[in-house]
Amino acid sequence: MGTAPVIPFPDAQEREAADESRLVAEAAKGDVRAFERLYRKHAPRVNGLCLRLTGNAATAEDCVQEAFVAAWKALPKFEARAKFSTWLHRIAVNAVLARRRGLAAQLETTVDDEQYMLDRLGGHDAAPPIDVVQAIDALPPGARQVLVLVGLYGYSHEEAAKELGVAVGTCKAQLHRARQLLAARLDLKGDVA
Amino acid sequence: MNEERDRQVERRLDDLLAGVRREVPPSKDLWASIEAQLEPRASTRATPRTRGAWGYALAAGVGAVALTAAVTWELATRPSVPVAVNGSPAMVVPGATPEAGAPNRALLAAAFEAPQDARYRDTRAALEKTFRERLDLLAPDTRTRIEQNLAIIRQANDDIRAALAADPNSPLLQQLLESTWQQEIDLYTTVNRTTEPALPRSET
Repeated sequence: MGTAPVIPFPDAQEREAADESRLVAEAAKGDVRAFERLYRKHAPRVNGLCLRLTGNAATAEDCVQEAFVAAWKALPKFEARAKFSTWLHRIAVNAVLARRRGLAAQLETTVDDEQYMLDRLGGHDAAPPIDVVQAIDALPPGARQVLVLVGLYGYSHEEAAKELGVAVGTCKAQLHRARQLLAARLDLKGDVA
Repeated sequence: MNEERDRQVERRLDDLLAGVRREVPPSKDLWASIEAQLEPRASTRATPRTRGAWGYALAAGVGAVALTAAVTWELATRPSVPVAVNGSPAMVVPGATPEAGAPNRALLAAAFEAPQDARYRDTRAALEKTFRERLDLLAPDTRTRIEQNLAIIRQANDDIRAALAADPNSPLLQQLLESTWQQEIDLYTTVNRTTEPALPRSET
């Protein structure tokens, strides 16, 4: 008795990727509905990225809108071999950074980082224990942006440095500083003592 | 000793960072605002579909029906979403429905024959308004899925209308088109009904 031929069936990830490629192609040709479906799929992560980078929900949503409008304009030039989500996230990061002037200055580590955090959290007397999201939001902008890209969204230091327009060494120093500030503010050393 | 403590601090921080949500839906639907800013391009939709339009439209209609059933199932079985009980507070939909979760079926059925009818538009707008408000009360992943499903239903509606452009007298396509309107209303109704009474807002 012969066995039935095995028909290879694309797994869910492959199907999803194929669906997305089709939507991207249709949106690039001007199909607004296809672009809406891309928005529905990607908006939560893009908004999450913008929210963590800016620390402000309203600003983040403005950046999300700007990013999707910019993506629509640039879609005809999108190269199909690139990953759409990576490309879209880059646009979102640019939308956030475009709102910040003097970024290079902000990325310099200063001795006032801890005071900056304390001020953002309401001072030493900010009684309730803060959670990690509050602590990230209170980080100085340069440290926060590096921590979000590298520590949360998996960028390499090289990628993050390129996005932020700083040296790789600066990026590494900022990540180290961000982690130190978080550990101190969350009292992790006290926790494990 | 200190090195071991530093490692523990690092691990604890890594654990905390791993728990930070990467996906945070916007507090409101941004699509309408985004769509208003999109510059038009030569659209593939400008050319009516002919070859294969029937099959595509049929698949779209069937897909929309199956999808709404799936959403209903998900909402009804999720423990985090309360199911409405008899006697829950009624919501007035101006000029049409006595309760958000139970629109006047006869009115809607009549309205589907003439979707430009003002009563239909008012009813649909009121349901959609409540739907948008209630979406904010759902868990983020459920909300995202429902929004994606709504986009699929609307896509089905677009596809069927494209097919109708090529075959305007087809009763089956007309029926399928009406079914997508009904599916959209059913989706609103299901969400409105299953989120009554209101939940506290989830973390953003």
